[in-house]
Amino acid sequence: MDSLLATFVKALLLAAALLGAFAYMTLIERRLLGRMQHRHGPNRTGPFGLLQPIADALKSVFKEDIIVSKADKFVYVLAPLISITFALSAFGAIPGGPAGSLFGYDPWVLDLDIGLLYVLAVTSIGVYGIFLGGWAANSKYALLGSLRSSAQIISYELGLGLSVLSVIMIAGTLNLREIVEMGIWGVSPLLWPPLAIAFGAFVISAIAEVNRTPFDLPEAEQEIVAGYLTEYSGLKWALYQMAEYVNMMTAAAFISTLFLGGYRGPAFLDQWIPGISEWPIVWLVAKMAIFMFLFIWLRATLPRLRYDQLMRFGWLYLFEVALGATLLTGAVIAFVL
Amino acid sequence: MVTFAILASVAVIGALGVVLLRQPIHAALSLVGTLLTLAVLFVTLQAHFLAAIQVIVYGGAIMVLFLFVIMLLNIEHERKEVQPWLRWAAYGVGLVAATGLIVGAMLDPRQAPDHAVVRDTLQGGHPRLIAEVLYGEFMLAFQLVGVLLLTGMVGAVALVQRPRPQRTSAMIDERRKERASDALEAGGR
Repeated sequence: MDSLLATFVKALLLAAALLGAFAYMTLIERRLLGRMQHRHGPNRTGPFGLLQPIADALKSVFKEDIIVSKADKFVYVLAPLISITFALSAFGAIPGGPAGSLFGYDPWVLDLDIGLLYVLAVTSIGVYGIFLGGWAANSKYALLGSLRSSAQIISYELGLGLSVLSVIMIAGTLNLREIVEMGIWGVSPLLWPPLAIAFGAFVISAIAEVNRTPFDLPEAEQEIVAGYLTEYSGLKWALYQMAEYVNMMTAAAFISTLFLGGYRGPAFLDQWIPGISEWPIVWLVAKMAIFMFLFIWLRATLPRLRYDQLMRFGWLYLFEVALGATLLTGAVIAFVL
Repeated sequence: MVTFAILASVAVIGALGVVLLRQPIHAALSLVGTLLTLAVLFVTLQAHFLAAIQVIVYGGAIMVLFLFVIMLLNIEHERKEVQPWLRWAAYGVGLVAATGLIVGAMLDPRQAPDHAVVRDTLQGGHPRLIAEVLYGEFMLAFQLVGVLLLTGMVGAVALVQRPRPQRTSAMIDERRKERASDALEAGGR
């Protein structure tokens, strides 16, 4: 356990790192999308467009901050703050390395026995940001966006929760660090099929939870302008963007932690560089990068689902598949092992 | 104790807001605040599991559905004038209930357990302990609650289902005529 001061400093550093990563993720995303769509993307501001995020940030700060006259002012201002606060606090429970590996400090902010539930709980409160923002703006497009987002997030939370159950049953703990340390794939090869199904279902639900293509209906720009974002501008709009990207990063880290061994690196590398698989943060970031790339790749590849397709997919397929994986895991644990 | 006093007053203020705020969305938000404050109270008792469940179930699911329904029905302009006597009756009933509660709490000879005792009993609100009680001692009650919820859900679906359009004999006749004329046209060609 670290002192309170160390925890505070780590929390500040984590928030700064997440926001810095957000700024450069926007650049990486636009450059990658450019490549995938045979165009350049932003490459004029600095070498490789590296100064673009700074220019964007300055633009957001100096833009006029419009508060719609018919808006519910209190909720209108509160909503983006809810989004960013809960997005930033969710990441704190995800472990970045073995205990004491970060210059003698623990590479996490919170080590909770219920770390897994904490992440789920905090991210589920984050939906209020989108939901209230859309309502407070007092515009039909924004309201439609917020209604869609709440229905979508509630529906896909089922798939998310059910696919996590397999991991919890195998690991027997809700502590994320212990889940990583025990290595759920090493328990028995018989558990691989249900775990693989749960992994797939979890990744799909996580993409829906962070409102990314093909599940980006809350801000479907061809149908409802920009959904909940329609009436937001300047800094508040930037806060929503931050929250979206931070949520993506949390989702990527959460998937890696639950299913892919989190902060642990491949052990065979140790024969060349001793101790490399124990390095903090490096491996988690590497695994997160794979999923961030996947999210961007999907955005360039898939068209958006229609609303009824989204609901049918969530309730009739994803839910059942995740439930099946849970039952299969339970059956294997109860009858075979 | 100071923490408890602050949290308890925030929770009570939130609860008052649910009743007193005119805008339904604000009232619902106030309720969210109360529920989250309760979760923090659980955390101060080291019952982390209960706190997380409180946030996930009430904050993340139930209240979102509440807000969803309020937004969908858009009831903000429905402000009916209530009968004056009804208002006074409500005040009276509220007053009596509050007095009863306070007097009951004062007369109760049992001492409220110490903070430390509560914390030790909860044992960190560990999921395993809760599971043992829930799936052991209260297994039947747990299952019955599940059946109750299912019944409620089926009832809700039954309530919102539209009646099937009745086929009247006039409609059938009309369709038969249409079909006959279609056949004539096809034959004429």
